[in-house]
Amino acid sequence: MKDLRKTNRESAKKMHRPRWQAFFIGLFLFYMLLPILSTYVFSVATRWDRTILPEGYTLQFYARAAGASYFTSTLRNSLILSLATVLVSLIIIVPTVYWVHMRLTSAQPLIELLMILPFGIPTVVLALALVQVYNFAPLARSPFLLIGAVVVYSMPFMYRPVSNALQAIDSHTLTEAGQSLGANIVQILAEVVIPNILPGILSGSLLVFSTVFAEYTLTSLIVGARFKTFPLLLLEYTRINGNVAAAFSVISFTIAWLVSMMILWVGTTGKATSPEALRAR
Amino acid sequence: MTYLELKNVSKAFAGVDVVHDFSLDIEKGTLVSFLGPSGCGKTTTLRMIAGFEQLDDGSIQLDGNDITGVPPNRRDIGMVFQAYALFPNKTVRDNISFGLRMKKTPKNEIRKKVDTVLEMVRLQETADRYPHQLSGGQQQRIALARALAVQPRVLLLDEPLSALDAGVRVALRGEIRRIQSELAITTVYVTHDQEEALSISDKVVVMNKGIIQQVGTPEEIYRAPQTRFVATFIGTANQFLGTASGRDSVVCKNIKLLAEGVENFRDGEEVVALVRPENIHVQSELPQQRNDWNAIPGVVETITFHGAVTRLGVNTGGQRIVADVTVANTKPVALNQKIWLLFPMSACQVMAAKE
Repeated sequence: MKDLRKTNRESAKKMHRPRWQAFFIGLFLFYMLLPILSTYVFSVATRWDRTILPEGYTLQFYARAAGASYFTSTLRNSLILSLATVLVSLIIIVPTVYWVHMRLTSAQPLIELLMILPFGIPTVVLALALVQVYNFAPLARSPFLLIGAVVVYSMPFMYRPVSNALQAIDSHTLTEAGQSLGANIVQILAEVVIPNILPGILSGSLLVFSTVFAEYTLTSLIVGARFKTFPLLLLEYTRINGNVAAAFSVISFTIAWLVSMMILWVGTTGKATSPEALRAR
Repeated sequence: MTYLELKNVSKAFAGVDVVHDFSLDIEKGTLVSFLGPSGCGKTTTLRMIAGFEQLDDGSIQLDGNDITGVPPNRRDIGMVFQAYALFPNKTVRDNISFGLRMKKTPKNEIRKKVDTVLEMVRLQETADRYPHQLSGGQQQRIALARALAVQPRVLLLDEPLSALDAGVRVALRGEIRRIQSELAITTVYVTHDQEEALSISDKVVVMNKGIIQQVGTPEEIYRAPQTRFVATFIGTANQFLGTASGRDSVVCKNIKLLAEGVENFRDGEEVVALVRPENIHVQSELPQQRNDWNAIPGVVETITFHGAVTRLGVNTGGQRIVADVTVANTKPVALNQKIWLLFPMSACQVMAAKE
């Protein structure tokens, strides 16, 4: 009987915990979602400064946004910039991180340090320094210089997940197993290492894509109007019409979200793989 | 006929000798174990044979060809790892066919070969599963099948059973030996488990601190150890430190023992006499002494039941001796009982006191 009461008390204690969890999760979601939700609502509100909820709803700001000159070209530029950055990051980072893991473990601390640098250097300083150093054709103030800059800037976002994934799969032994079966390093990378760190590569790609898609400072200072991207247009409109700017934001979210889904879809349906097998362990 | 030959192989990591002047001939079709405590250089030697570590000095020859500088993927040497190292993204069938595909084997032949090796390890039903859906023992059998599918010239096993449960370990080592004999594949097996090494090997190489201590058949290693390290690392041995005296005796602190091999030492030289617990007979009274037997009186201090044998810890005037008795051939012994320990001169081996 005593035991029963005790277990009852314990289960009652357990019952309490989810309520606290729910509270904090709710608080977190509120904090995270409120700005996004209000942006969404603001983009369809006719007037929203005297009441709690908007006085009326309209889609006219979307029509104005879509009709804006530069709408398509900035969108295209942003997509080009983001995708090119993801591609260059993948080509540079994945083999490098793999190589450091396998053969140059002593270089790991140095790489770790390099990966913190982009956070340490103010973007403005980075941009101005790059503009001054690469002041010759064809790099000077070109989209190529911009891609190079954002690759550096977004490098930690690719490095971290890829490095963690490599650590999780014991890439060392898997590589040696591949070698003992007669495979060369390219075959091992393509058939063994990359498929097994795909979750890391995908999350790195998503992080880089969304970071670069919303990048403003580097773009504005390095290329400015020569290669106008979506965030530049958006900022322009905040000075002209807040509602249209909100509509631009919503469009930007949606595109980033869609592309993210696409990257995930391409990455996970390319081959018949077991999701269990891809789980990091 | 020598098939795999290591000549004066040396390797150091950060200035510390890990393998020192290692020379060994391995005959075709035999299973040779490298046995030693961790850090003795056995795995490093294996990895040098596989090509994963570069030699600092010496050379490795396989079937008459120098393979010292050949990269691992062109050595035609298969390897089974302690951590299985199956490719997690591939099914069992794809894991096994990987090596065959690298060799550009025709598709229908791959299928046949995969089925053959799966049958060999008795896991045909797992062909379409992923590694994480198999038990540890099954994964290691698949890893063995994968290594064998390409018909390598040499098979290397790096502590393949260390990560498995005791029961699975014993069953699988029998399996490994059976398959190895069936295929007559030259095999090098690294382990720190003496029982494992003794039970499956044609030859055992006992290593310590990067140096070969002894090479021999399991019987030779156990019955006629050549160094004190081998005698104490393999099985259990009672050690009597003393000095050589005459042709057949060792003078210890408070006893004089008759021993074999004393003639190899100078009078007064420091030696150690070794006696295995199972060679010691226990009697409650001093029997008629034979002149080539040692008899030491003592008091039973501990009795430990080990199943087939019972191990007695006996105090003999300061030195503790362990003796194994079987229920079948000994009268029951009680704690604190005074007994006599008897062992023939032939069971008492003398070797240099220095390891």
